[in-house]
Amino acid sequence: MYRGREGQWAFVLHRLSGVALALFLLLHVIDISLVMFGPEGPFNAFLAFYHQWPFRVGLVLVMAAVVYHAFNGLRIILMDFTEWGVKYQGALWYGALGATTAVGIPVLWKIVPEILGIA
Amino acid sequence: MASAPKTYQAARATYGASGELVWWVFMRISGLLLVFLVFGHLFFNNIQIDAGTIDFAYVANRLSQPGVKIYDTFLLAFAMLHGINGLRYSIEDHVRKPGRRFWTKVVVFSIAGIVFVLGTMTLWAFSYDEMGAAVRALD
Repeated sequence: MYRGREGQWAFVLHRLSGVALALFLLLHVIDISLVMFGPEGPFNAFLAFYHQWPFRVGLVLVMAAVVYHAFNGLRIILMDFTEWGVKYQGALWYGALGATTAVGIPVLWKIVPEILGIA
Repeated sequence: MASAPKTYQAARATYGASGELVWWVFMRISGLLLVFLVFGHLFFNNIQIDAGTIDFAYVANRLSQPGVKIYDTFLLAFAMLHGINGLRYSIEDHVRKPGRRFWTKVVVFSIAGIVFVLGTMTLWAFSYDEMGAAVRALD
């Protein structure tokens, strides 16, 4: 396997998170569309199913993918539209990882107790 | 497109005046808008409340507010176009055989079209005010 530097890892993670988010988006629109069946429809039963902890952990992973994809996307925009973006793309990638962590920690602090049922 | 052009000038040189240049620009503009739209969506539905408590009444209440419907319409449109175009880039990179590539795109675009219609119907085709009233009448 080719072991590249920051740029390659940034690309691979952007691609993987992007494909995962696109597939999640399709699933998410389909499951929320069940609300059209009304209060007596399958919506509440379906949501109760999704509230089980493995799916809530999955949702945390989806959020992590969103935050990484967003910050690395901003890095791509800086690379494309500024004079200096490409020169500092490696540092910008560590910045994107740092920003993802900085957003992620308080989010985990809020959501992990909810999943564990100790909120 | 294993590696996208790195500047607007390079993109123009690569794509000329074809639709690909429009998509290259669109991915960057929609991406910037989606940072705010998606972060807002996650904040409202995962941070302000416990997402494990979401039920019909919560969603119906949100979808009875015009502001939420307009916000979600922009979110749906930009996310679908950005996401499906990203899937198209991935298919073109990773599905090499021409016939299989064509049919993979047919399947993905068909599913995307159906899901987009489904999402638009969810937002605009029903009165969740009336549905919410029906729920409250049950209590």
